[in-house]
Order: sequence, then structure tokens, then C-alpha cells
Amino acid sequence: MAELTYREAVAAGIAQEMARDPNVVFLGEDVAAAGGVFKATVGLLEQFGPRRVRDTPISEQAILGAAMGAAMTGLRPIAEIMFSDFLAVCWDIVANEIAKTRYMTAGQVTLPLVIRTANGGGSRFGAQHSQSVENWAMAVPGLKVVAPSNPADVKGLLAAAIRDDDPVVFFEHKSLYAVKGEVPDGEHIERLGTAKVLRDGRDVTVLALAAMVPKALAAAERLAAEHRIEATVIDVRSLVPLDTETILREVVKTGRVATVEENPRLCGWGAEIASIVAEECFWDLDAPIVRITTPHVPLPSADNLEDATVPTVERIVATLRQAID
Amino acid sequence: MPIDIVMPQLGETVKEGTITVWRKKIGDRVKADEPLFDVSTDKVETEIPAPADGVLAEILVAEGATVPVGARLAVIASDGRAGATSATPATFSPVSAPTAAAPAIPMPPRAASGPRDRRRRSISPVVRRLAATHGLDLAAIAGTGRDGRIKRDDVRAHLARGAALECSVIPFNRLRRLTAQHMVRSKATSPHVLQAVEAEFHRVDAARRAHQAAWQAREGFELTFLPFIAKAVCTAIAAFPRVNAVIEGENLVVFGRIHLAIAVDLGHEGLVAPVIRDAGSRSVAALARAIRDVAVRARASRLGPDDLAGGTYTISNSGVFGTMITAPIINQPQVAILSTDGICKRPVVVEGPEGDSIAIRPVGVLAQCFDHRAIDGAYSAAFLRTLKDRIETTDWTASID
Repeated sequence: MAELTYREAVAAGIAQEMARDPNVVFLGEDVAAAGGVFKATVGLLEQFGPRRVRDTPISEQAILGAAMGAAMTGLRPIAEIMFSDFLAVCWDIVANEIAKTRYMTAGQVTLPLVIRTANGGGSRFGAQHSQSVENWAMAVPGLKVVAPSNPADVKGLLAAAIRDDDPVVFFEHKSLYAVKGEVPDGEHIERLGTAKVLRDGRDVTVLALAAMVPKALAAAERLAAEHRIEATVIDVRSLVPLDTETILREVVKTGRVATVEENPRLCGWGAEIASIVAEECFWDLDAPIVRITTPHVPLPSADNLEDATVPTVERIVATLRQAID
Repeated sequence: MPIDIVMPQLGETVKEGTITVWRKKIGDRVKADEPLFDVSTDKVETEIPAPADGVLAEILVAEGATVPVGARLAVIASDGRAGATSATPATFSPVSAPTAAAPAIPMPPRAASGPRDRRRRSISPVVRRLAATHGLDLAAIAGTGRDGRIKRDDVRAHLARGAALECSVIPFNRLRRLTAQHMVRSKATSPHVLQAVEAEFHRVDAARRAHQAAWQAREGFELTFLPFIAKAVCTAIAAFPRVNAVIEGENLVVFGRIHLAIAVDLGHEGLVAPVIRDAGSRSVAALARAIRDVAVRARASRLGPDDLAGGTYTISNSGVFGTMITAPIINQPQVAILSTDGICKRPVVVEGPEGDSIAIRPVGVLAQCFDHRAIDGAYSAAFLRTLKDRIETTDWTASID
């Protein structure tokens, strides 16, 4: 095991797959010579050369259009959209072209590509550079959607996304890039569509994603230490496919479920899970389903205001205390 | 608000009831818990009290009439006026009467009670389900949640204490239902005759001891007695094929191949009998692997329809529990089934050239139930004698592959 940062795990995952498969190529704005604006792709240009690791003009449509064409003609491209907010600029290519091609060609053309993008708030970047938009991608049939919370999952899920024959939108969380964690040595690959139970408790099942996972875990420790409330914490990891088997099993065990989401409240991913839980295990619920989300507002840039919107450990603790009676 | 009076659920299996007498007339003032009418069902005759104070506004079902559970019988109005179309149904048991028969239920007025009141009355889905499943009166359970709310753990604690719990109701799942139907049908169809022999397993035991370590290391599971018995059954069937058959009309259809069904217990949650195709052509080792395979897949719910169809003879094995003898029920449309029970060491008399001696040998009972329509006792007995003989005389150590 080696200790890597979340950002180093991105480069390690890409390097592992580029070394393994000559068809894997990587492109994006400032990803090659500069090593990425978040320094998540340092060293790839040096290791794999300018034919396979390319800087592009500042055009999200050009990046994804090129990636789509490359995928249609046999490569396995990884395309970076610097901030996930900018997916809106090229959403036609994502939602109408990339997501639909396999279906509209009756499976004759697959698009084995990965769209990597830096997602989420907490870094004081303001309303246009801080959004959590994994729920946008979740709403489009034909896309797989992954959002890892730690370095090991970054490497393992990124490798799985690259090897998958369908388009995968891979949401890296900006505020996690500096986080360190153990990553298994040698080839490391995880399975898409699997959630992970990180903590076992008897009182409530807490579902979290990406940067909300460490917060949910910290909140669970405080609930245990200060209020004798034991929470199960699940890292959802993949929104599409969604590991409903693990989620429903763990919800039934405690009879209570809470989601911790960075999405603005309306149509956040937790709403879909709440709907599934209500349909599938209503008769096992011992309390109303709880959603802890960012309110339905554009994110502010001011420190104190951003901290008041994105869910915090304190808010998670207070909400769960209130909910558990 | 007017209250609908509906036919109560008087017992788990009761579907309808007859009004024998109304104790009140239309227009009479009634008090809560005062006798309102009498009901007779095929199980009980009982007096039903009024659920609330008010005036008996309507009687919808006359004396002597029989109506299904949940049917509207009368309306009690709180102010003396009838409000037949917007009544709230009243029920008399913790297990609610089906609401399908009741009229549309209006939304409760939202502002009528504060959040604290709502919370005190609210029963969560899981608590409601547990109460219905176990027939609990929630009024008898102390809630430890906020404002006295009854939590799931409160119901579980209540159940654990056994208070008020005289019975629990476990609804049949699909597998239980199918098993129940099959067992009744089999007993009704086939006149079962039980015959049993006692067999000595010393040669099987020797083979197991000789091969066990290498087998365990190679295959990763234990070499049990069952595949040896299965092999012996196949060789005995070769001599007496009519136990490997089905009845069709007035014909006995006797099979050339043996498709051996093996009964597998699903952790006390049901029974299935997956089929090992062409068992007669398989070695002991191959049978051991096949039995293991179907058992593992059965317990993982990974059997397909093909795994369960087409058996020609069945073995049921209760031996792991140390039973002495089991009279199994025939797996229709087959005509015979064998039970293997516990094998344990016993002193046995061994006859040798130097006279009799006593030896310690593993001994077990093999019990077959056969369909007397298909074959007779002598045929079954001859089959069992051959089976016993094969188990006791085969050099199993040399013949597992």
C-alpha cells in the first residue's frame, strides 16, 4: 500500500490504464504541459508523449466532440472538463450524442469514453465554479455516473470507467484533491455500480457521496460519542448503476435512512433514492426519510455564506439527532 | 365528523359476518363502548360496541343479512345529522379491515392538530407491519420515542418479553405454499408404503478416510456419505428399474436414465429438490461435485427451472441431524423416494470362518417410501436388499472415480 493524494490517484489511475492499453488517450485544457489546473494529471505527458496526452483549445465542445469521434473509431479517450459547471457548455454532445449513440445504432457503435471533471463546492469559487452537478448526468439515460470519495476509489473506479464500454461521467471533487489515503499497490480496479458500507450502526443508515462521505463519517463518530446514536454510513460511489441491493439491505437493518447531498435540493440524487426506498421498503421504515442537502440557491463565494449552504458536519449531526426519536 | 361502522375482522380466517340484532335504532344516541349490534360468524357470536359517541344516523344492513368483512353497516353522526358520503371508517381490531370496501377516506384537516399531536399519534410503517404480523395491540406497548412514539425497537422489545404474545402469524411465502400443495397432493395421490433396511457403512467409511484429506485439499469441501449412497442407488436401480418411473394414467413409464433429485433444505426456510441429470453414468466423485453444486446454488437462490424439472427418483437426506428413520413423501409424479438418516457406530455381529465376532461399524437406516399403485412390497424390498448389498460389499476405496 502506498499513501497517495486524491489528485495523485487520478494520475495513477490514468497511467495504469494508458500503460495497459495503447488505445487509451487523454485530452483536455491544460492537462498535458501544465499537468492540469488542479495538478491531477502531472507526469502523464512525460510518460506517454504528446500523441496520447494532448492539450486542447478552450472549447468544451471541441474536447467532447473529439473524444466522441475518437471513441467511435476505436480509441478509449479520457476527456477532461475542467469544472463540471462547464458541462452546460457542451451538454448537447453529452446528453444527445454521447448518451444516445449506442442505442440509436442498435449497439453497433459503442462509446468507451470517460469524461473526467472537477465537481463540487467548498473552495470559494463562486456560483459558476462550485456546483455539484452529478444529478444532471444521473438524469440522462445512457450515461454511467461515478463520484469517488477517496484516493483508492479514484484509482480503482477510474480504471473501471476507462475499461467500460459505455460513456462514464467521472466526478472528482475539488475539495478532496489534497486528501491522502492508502491505495493498493500494483494494478487496482473496482467494480462500477457498487456502494461501500464504511461504518456499521444500528440506529440510522446514512448515504453519502464524494466530499459528503468524510463529513458523514465525522458526523457519525460525533453522534456515537456525544449522543449514543450509531449510524451506518454508506459511500454510494456510483449513481448509475445504483447499488440498490446494498442500499436497501442496510436501510432495512436500521429502519431509518438519511441522505447527505451536495446537490441543490430539488431533484438531488437523494430524492431518487428516497423514492426507491419508499417504494421498495416502506413497511420497514421506522421514521420519515431525511434528506440533508444544499438549499436550492446558487452557491455564494463568501466563506461564511458557502459554509452556511453546503452541508457541514454540524448540520448533519443536528439533523440526525432531531430525526432520531 | 360522521363515522362509518364496518363489518369487523373477527379472526384471521373469517371473511364475512351476519348481523343478528341491532341494539340501537336510527336516531338513538349512542355512547362509545356501548353495545351497538351483534354479529355471528362461522367461528364466533359476539357483541360489537360503538366506537364513538354520537347519534345512529343510518343503518345500511338489516338484521339477518350476511356481508363481507369491511362492508359498511351503519353511520354514526356526531351531531345527529347523517353524512353518509364522507364518513371515516371505524375498525375494531389492530389489524385494519380492508379499506377497499370502505368509502373514499377524506384527507384529515391539516390545521386540526399541531406537529406534536401528529407525532404522538403517528405509527411508522414498520411498527404498523410488525403489529399486524404479530397481532399486537399497540395500545399495550409503551413507546420510548419522543412524545411517547412507539419505535421499531419498542415493538421488538415487547415481542422479546413475550408479553401478550400468544402466537405469531407467519404468512406462507410462495415456496411454502407450493410445498404444502405438493405434499397434500402426493399423499392424496399415492398410497405410500414405508420399507427400511439397516446398512453397514464400513467400506464407505474406509473410502472416505482414505480419500478425505486429498479430496478436501483438491475440492474444498467434505466428501460425505451421500454420493456413495447415490451411486449405490443408481446401481440398484439398474437391477430394479421400476422404482425409477412415473405413473401416467394406467401406465408405469419406466426410465432408462436416472435423473436423481436431491432434497435440499434452505436453512429451514423451505425445501427444493434440484435434479442431477443422468446420475447413473456418473462416478462417486462426479456425484459428490454435482450434489455440492446444486446444494450451493439452491441456497444461493440460483437454480433455474431446468434444475428442478424431470427428476425420476429422489433422495432426501436428514442424516446430518442424526435422525434414525424418516418416512418421506413421494416427489410427484415419481413412484419412490429414499431417506438416508443418521449413520452412527454400533456393535454388530460379524460372521466369519472362525465363527461369530463383534465388530464396531457405522450403521444407518435407508428408508424408502414407494407408491403401491406402481410396485409391490417384494419388488421394493428386493431393491432395498440390493442397495444394502452394494453399500456393504463394494470396494469403495478403489472406485470413487
